[in-house]
Amino acid sequence: MIPLDRYPKEITLRNDARAVLRPMVPEDAVELWNFLRQLPEIDKSHFHEDVDRREVVERWAASIDYDSALPILALQGNRVVGSATLYRNRTGWKQRVGIVRILISPDHRHLGLGTAMIREIRHLGEKVSLNYLLAEVIEEQQAAVRALERMGFEKAGVYRNFVNDRKGDLHSLVVLLHPLSGLGK
Amino acid sequence: MEATSIDLRRGYHQLERLLREIAVALEKEDIPAARMDLEKAREALDGAESGGGGPDALRSLDHALSYAHRVIGDLLHEKGLPPHSPADFAGWYDAGEVPFREDW
Repeated sequence: MIPLDRYPKEITLRNDARAVLRPMVPEDAVELWNFLRQLPEIDKSHFHEDVDRREVVERWAASIDYDSALPILALQGNRVVGSATLYRNRTGWKQRVGIVRILISPDHRHLGLGTAMIREIRHLGEKVSLNYLLAEVIEEQQAAVRALERMGFEKAGVYRNFVNDRKGDLHSLVVLLHPLSGLGK
Repeated sequence: MEATSIDLRRGYHQLERLLREIAVALEKEDIPAARMDLEKAREALDGAESGGGGPDALRSLDHALSYAHRVIGDLLHEKGLPPHSPADFAGWYDAGEVPFREDW
C-alpha cells in the first residue's frame, strides 16, 4: 500500500496563492473533466481516450486503483488546477519503475506548481521503493522538460517523430529518468 | 570573471556551512529524495576540494550549490512555503543574468 498520510497537503505558489494537494477521489470526476478539457491539445496527446468526453473521465474516476495509478490533484477550492499521476506495475520487470504524468492548467504555469507536483511524485516514488521514475514528454513541452531536469531527471533518449497527436501529426518524444534511492538497496 | 584560489576557498567553506545547516534542518524531515540530493551536494563539494582549483573546482561548487537549492526547495515544499527561485538571489550573483527561471 502506498502511504497517503501526508494528504491533504497545502502548498503555496510563487504568487502566494494556496493550493491543496490530495489523491483524487471518484467525486472529483466533473472537476477533473473541466480541468482536462481546457488543456492545450498537445498536453492531451498521451491519453488513450478522448478526455474531452465527460463519460470517459467519469468512468476513470469510478475505477481508481491507487496501487496501479495514483492521481494527485492540486485544487483551489473545488477547481482542479494540476494533476500528477504515478503509474506502477505491481508485477513484472518494470515493477520498480514508476511512470509520471504531470498536467498543469495554463493559467497556473510559471508559479512553481509543476515543480511542486514533481516533488510530490518523487516523494511517493521513494516511499514505495521504486528504483526509477520515468517521464515521457513531447519535445515541444520544453518548460516541462526543463522543470523535470532541474528536479533530477536526466534525458535518456529522444525519439524523433515517434508519437502522434490526436490530429495525426508526428512529434518527437523525450524520455527522462530519475534514479531513486531504491536503486542502491 | 575569473575566480581566484581564495575565492574558491571562500566559496567552498560557505557551501560547507550551508550543507551542514541543511543537514540539521533535514534531520527532522522525512524526505528521502532530499537526503539523496544532499549526499550528491556533499560529493560535489568533495570533488571541489580534491579538484585542486581552476574551472573543475568551480564547476563542482556550482553542482553542489544546485543540489543544495533543490534540497532547500524540498524543505520549503514540505512546510507548505512558497518555492524559492535562484532568480530571487540574482542580485548576489556576479553573473549578468541568472540563466533560468520558474517555467512550470
